[in-house]
Amino acid sequence: MLEARALEVSYGESLALRGVNFTVREGELVTVIGANGAGKSTILRTIMGLVKCRKGEIYFQGENITFTAPHHRARMGISLVPEGRRVFGDLTVVENLRMGAYVKKNRKEIDSAMEEAFHLFPVLRERRRQVGKTLSGGEQQMLAIARSLMSKPRMILMDEVSLGLMPLYVEETFNVIGKLHEQGVTIFLVEQNARKALQAADRGYVLETGEIVMSDTSGNLAADPMIKKAYLGA
Amino acid sequence: MIWQQLANGISVGSVYALISLGLTMVYGILRILHVAHAGIYTLGAYVGLLSFRLVDNFWLSLFAGMVGAAVAGYLVERFLYTPILHLSRIAPLIASIGLFTAMEEAFRIVAGPHTLVYNARVGLGDLAIGSFRLTETQVLILLVSFLILLFLWLFLTRSRMGLAMRACALDLETASSFGVNVSAIIAMNFIIGSLMAGAAGVLIGVYDNQVWPTMGSIPAYKALAIVVLGGLGSIPGTVLASIIVGLSETFFIGVLSIPFPRDAVAFIAMILVLMFRPYGLLGKA
Repeated sequence: MLEARALEVSYGESLALRGVNFTVREGELVTVIGANGAGKSTILRTIMGLVKCRKGEIYFQGENITFTAPHHRARMGISLVPEGRRVFGDLTVVENLRMGAYVKKNRKEIDSAMEEAFHLFPVLRERRRQVGKTLSGGEQQMLAIARSLMSKPRMILMDEVSLGLMPLYVEETFNVIGKLHEQGVTIFLVEQNARKALQAADRGYVLETGEIVMSDTSGNLAADPMIKKAYLGA
Repeated sequence: MIWQQLANGISVGSVYALISLGLTMVYGILRILHVAHAGIYTLGAYVGLLSFRLVDNFWLSLFAGMVGAAVAGYLVERFLYTPILHLSRIAPLIASIGLFTAMEEAFRIVAGPHTLVYNARVGLGDLAIGSFRLTETQVLILLVSFLILLFLWLFLTRSRMGLAMRACALDLETASSFGVNVSAIIAMNFIIGSLMAGAAGVLIGVYDNQVWPTMGSIPAYKALAIVVLGGLGSIPGTVLASIIVGLSETFFIGVLSIPFPRDAVAFIAMILVLMFRPYGLLGKA
């Protein structure tokens, strides 16, 4: 469904990604684990088109999208839950969700997607008239996830969705991710919480200073002594 | 007496709002000070006057002034700002000041240095209730500004595109990742802001019964003060600040008869507010 070939991204002089290859198949939950600054977020931002790549190619459903504008990628069915939530602070919860469904024009479709979002995160229904910045961190994260689901994306990119959340919210967030995976949504998940990410994912990539150093099923990665030592704290 | 001054102040303030809103909208989305916006305002007045002389109908000339300004605003965005947006923020500011000066010179060359009369019969008539009296042009200003502000509010709060515009002002990048064509929204900000500036140009042209090349000079810096006073980028703040400045000007000069340069009021208000609220009345950090 998604394939990246020899992606190279630089910020100014420094290379953030040094020739990265990866694939995500339809219905899969794939994770990228790695330390802070390894380039995990850059991968997702490059797929969304928010960062331009210097070299390499990205294919989505067989189509070369390397030079496609972000809003066209959104219309093709790619959706990003950005790092740091990036909820629209002065818009209400309902308006945030409407923005998530911006590519949809059918009223009924939008209303039913919103109903599903409220079903998935009941707290958002209670807060629906509140503006985004008045929500707690955990609620904002739920809103950010719900917003990205509003367009019924073919593929959802999740950037550090558990970062800074209370353990209770981390559990809930991963429950939702598991539910979405069961429903057949394709998910590409970037996480610092490697243990949680590998539990949820089918496959994983390990990223170190802009390079993929390992790629395997989640089970094998979690069992690997080096991974255990470096990322699982065991 | 007090009602009379109130009505005068609000009509002055609503024209300020029409001019300043474009400035705040452009700042809100691109973080640049669009000084040439006052040139767009003057252009609106000239286009309105020209079409009034051609068709002799005020409402058509108002429409023409607005459309002329909108087209000009769009061209400025596309061919002046967009190509240099990636440079340091000082570049679009300098370009904007340069364009504004060039526009004033162009008006002088094309239409002549003298003031031209804009003697339009609007067909509304004066409004008089006892000693309270609104001239025809005041009624016109209140009516047109109210309608435009109402449309703007409905557009921003009720339409899909209005929602996208508000989202873009908060976070361009995230909005684009949800399918918003950001360059179209930026253009839309210029077009809507310029429509309002064009309307303001025509209204002031008729109110003062004159149009002249440098009629944008004072509005240029007064609008800047108003936008800062309201909180840069805040639309409700700009409307509020415009009304406050309009009212204080009228009350200082009309009621207290303080011998005070009228055009300084906006700046004094700005300084006073910034001392206590550094981000303006409704602005945020």
